[in-house]
Amino acid sequence: MASNAKAAQKLARQLFAMSVVDGAVSADRVSGVLAYVEIHNPAHSLTVLKAYRRLIATELAKGVAEVEHAGAVSDAMLGAIAAAMSKRYARTVTASAKPSPGLLAGLRVRVGDDIYESSVAGQLAALASSV
Amino acid sequence: MHSHLLILAQAAGPAVEAAAQNGGAASGISKILHDFGISWPFFLAQVANFCLVAVILWKFAFKPVLATLDERQKKIADGLRYTEEMKAKLEAVQQESAASARKAQAEATRIIDEARKSAKEFLEKQSQETTAKAGEILTKAEQLIELEKRKMLAEARTEIARLVVETTQRVLSKELSDAERSRYNESAARELTNI
Repeated sequence: MASNAKAAQKLARQLFAMSVVDGAVSADRVSGVLAYVEIHNPAHSLTVLKAYRRLIATELAKGVAEVEHAGAVSDAMLGAIAAAMSKRYARTVTASAKPSPGLLAGLRVRVGDDIYESSVAGQLAALASSV
Repeated sequence: MHSHLLILAQAAGPAVEAAAQNGGAASGISKILHDFGISWPFFLAQVANFCLVAVILWKFAFKPVLATLDERQKKIADGLRYTEEMKAKLEAVQQESAASARKAQAEATRIIDEARKSAKEFLEKQSQETTAKAGEILTKAEQLIELEKRKMLAEARTEIARLVVETTQRVLSKELSDAERSRYNESAARELTNI
């Protein structure tokens, strides 16, 4: 059972590696991988597809900077943040805005599992934890 | 009576012999014997009677009496010796008893001293242990009080901070204008792009 899961994970990682072109997920490659799986139906295909989807979603999340904000945020700000994250992660990162009134004022940027925050709510929370 | 005669005969014996030896004196002795009324046959019979009575008395009276006396003397001597022995034994027993009493007294004194010493040591030990336990309890109580105090202060500090933050959030959510939020956002964007 464990060896089957390991084999499925290994196949999923191989399919994911084939789906990435120049550090970005290619839609054509993903379509080709899905067609391959549909046609050849490898062992434990469902497990393979779940692992493959998770890897693709993680990779896609690394290419999107979700910018939570309270108050107005301009396209210029979003562009500057996207450029900074692209430079930081050495890949194309796009920014998407998401209103979050709980921040009171400021921004919180989420790229994959990484979070960057500069907000009034964050500073108040830091103040509360430091007291 | 017979004894008087015997004494006289004994006293006259040498005189008769002397008279016989001297010849002329024999008539004097005979005269004396005649004057005193002494007859040789009676005299000899009385001597024989005396000897017979003396022998009988010696054998049947004196000897048993002497034997009885000797026996009584022996019994008395045995009794005295036994008394002396008993006295010596009694003294020895008394001395032994006195020695035993002294030894027992010394042993009792030693036991009492040891008991007193043990009791004193036990009391001191108990006192020290009690003091140590009291000190330990006091220290623990102080530590507990200090811990509770710190805990209360930390809880109070946390609660105060929570209230301050909550109040600040409410105030800021109401008081911050859009322009202020925009300016803050621009500042935040500059900060994030410079990471």
